[in-house]
Amino acid sequence: MKTLLERREAARDGRNVDPGLGTLAGEGAEQRVRRLDAGHSERRVMAPPEPELEGRPSYYGMPLLKEPVWKWFIPAYFYVGGVSGASAVLGAASDLLGPRGTRALSRRCRLTAAAGAGASAALLIADLGRPARFLNMLRVFRPTSPMNVGTWILSGFGAATAAAAGAALLPVGPGARRAGDAAAAVAGLCGLGLTGYTGVLIANTAVPLWQGTRRALPVLFSCSGAAAATALLELFPPGDRSEPVVRRFGVLANVSELVMTGVLEAEAGVVPRVARPLRTGISGALWRAGQALSLASLALTLGSRGRRSLRRAAGLCGTAGSLALRFAIYQAGRRSALDPHASFEQQRRGRGAADVVRAQPGLDRALGEKGAEPPATPTLHDPGLAHP
Amino acid sequence: MGFFTDSTLCIGCKACEVACKQWNQLPDDGFRLTGMSYDNTGHLGASTWRHVAFVERESPLPGQGSPRDGVEAGARAFEPLRPLGQAGTTSPLADDVSPSHIETPVALGPTAQAMGKFSWLMLSDVCKHCERAGCLEACPTGAIIRTEFGSVYVQPDVCNGCGYCVSACPFGVVDRRADDGRAWKCTLCYDRLEGGMVPACAKACPTASIQFGPIDELRERAAHRVEQLRARGVPQARLYGESAASQPGTAGLRAFFLLCDEPEVYNLPPDPVVPTKKIADSWWAMAAGIAGLGLAAVGVVLSARRAA
Ligand code: SF4
Ligand code: SF4
Repeated sequence: MKTLLERREAARDGRNVDPGLGTLAGEGAEQRVRRLDAGHSERRVMAPPEPELEGRPSYYGMPLLKEPVWKWFIPAYFYVGGVSGASAVLGAASDLLGPRGTRALSRRCRLTAAAGAGASAALLIADLGRPARFLNMLRVFRPTSPMNVGTWILSGFGAATAAAAGAALLPVGPGARRAGDAAAAVAGLCGLGLTGYTGVLIANTAVPLWQGTRRALPVLFSCSGAAAATALLELFPPGDRSEPVVRRFGVLANVSELVMTGVLEAEAGVVPRVARPLRTGISGALWRAGQALSLASLALTLGSRGRRSLRRAAGLCGTAGSLALRFAIYQAGRRSALDPHASFEQQRRGRGAADVVRAQPGLDRALGEKGAEPPATPTLHDPGLAHP
Repeated sequence: MGFFTDSTLCIGCKACEVACKQWNQLPDDGFRLTGMSYDNTGHLGASTWRHVAFVERESPLPGQGSPRDGVEAGARAFEPLRPLGQAGTTSPLADDVSPSHIETPVALGPTAQAMGKFSWLMLSDVCKHCERAGCLEACPTGAIIRTEFGSVYVQPDVCNGCGYCVSACPFGVVDRRADDGRAWKCTLCYDRLEGGMVPACAKACPTASIQFGPIDELRERAAHRVEQLRARGVPQARLYGESAASQPGTAGLRAFFLLCDEPEVYNLPPDPVVPTKKIADSWWAMAAGIAGLGLAAVGVVLSARRAA
């Protein structure tokens, strides 16, 4: 007869062991059982048969990779980080070199950047679960991990934008104002990194789409960040002589964003299976919508001729387009991770390790010899019987 | 230290899965079948650190089959199955799997044909403990370390649950736990190694399909085994990830495998690569991109100044 405590314990744990038989102290001991029926999600079950896959081996169509675990916080963070990073860049440029009468622009940029840095940190923490985990990332500096590098960039960016925004908001003396200007310049530099590193971050994964577009992604994210930042400025115009600055920056950003979406499609399209999520399904629809909205934003900006309502509309389209593109890339990446054939095909087409090996002739030779080389002649006992 | 998993010896008994769960006190995954073969776990995960794949094929594998496909495997193929010095069977199922077919193979209609074209591949899959590990290089907190045994270990007290390693592993091994969000995977039984024992799965494997030991010794054994199999008429036998030369993308695996078919059949990537190996491309592209962004910002500001 179990005590009430034991029964409660067993119920809480849910695993099929009697806690009376021993204490749970092993590596995974604190792991709780998930609800057994909820544990198997639909997508883990056999993929529906596809005629074009006839004859191509896979393990019952089961996913090879784990789906990225990130929730909507992360693509949202990509957007917010891009906006605030690009704002800091534009703000720093107009601070340092701007024509007179654009004080309001740089002020607006500083505030956007600082608010964005705060929101970015909040989104990251929301994804991690608690603030201490954000600090955990700063316990090492690890150049092989773009996420670690990015956390450092974001931290520096946050401090610099806070100082710059503080100097712009508070009635401070000339010394502090100069310090604020210096902080804004630093924020501009960090902001450059902030717009682009997120692209490097997701490219540094095994997700076939992201790995396969590793050159286009960081550039697209930078351009799209700039487009999103100007879209926001169009929505809430600073209203001084900065108008041409914002407009031109917006046109440049929009054009390059559109060009980069094409480049990304081409880079992914080398292996059609990898590019498939960009063409089909919800992710494909989002991707096309992002492109269309970006194009609309460009057309509206060019056609607005200073009309407020059209500029507002351009701002709206630009914001929505930039968001759509990021969510599209995120969603398409998830789908490509769940498709084992995307990985298989990419690697069979020489875009796995062979890609890197080609660039390093020494390794190539090692690879080439492998086929010819007979297995080392062993002097061993029957491995079937030998067991340590 | 490492694992050599010889899939030709695996009988799919799942002793390794169970031993791993018992030693590491991992919760079970429920008792639902996935609806394909006898695999009920399906994939490696936070609570499944060994996973036995069952590949049901419509092609024969020499040395594998049932007494019914005596035609295909030759009349004497199953001689050793009969108990020594015993003419007939002692099985109560004698009528169903009549061993007389071994001596005088007769066509049994559809069953014989189906069985003759049938083979099982089984593979006990595990974290590969890559020499260059994607998870380790990606982890932003330094939670993933290489131990003194050469294995790749996630320190649960440091992991912050960012999930970056999950996407950085080219084999889809490491997984985030649903309840606290931290990443978990095979530890190569770090605690057992510390105590001078072999990992639980290797200890439990009744057929020596999972062999544990110094990596060089394992490589030798593996090469020998491949030779042996090829000599016995299994030309498909091959090693997967046994050395840096054979798998440059990961600089070799510390848990490598002997396979009898393409890696894809076992849900293994044919040419995996640690993502960080390619990431310089990305950093350079980003440098170019942000240089353009900076120039654009400066340019528009300057042009506006000229206009003003
Ligand atoms: S990259 Fe994957 S397979 Fe390699 S050590 Fe890490 S979890 Fe294991
Ligand atoms: S989830 Fe944990 S182990 Fe994985 S990368 Fe993040 S901190 Fe490192």
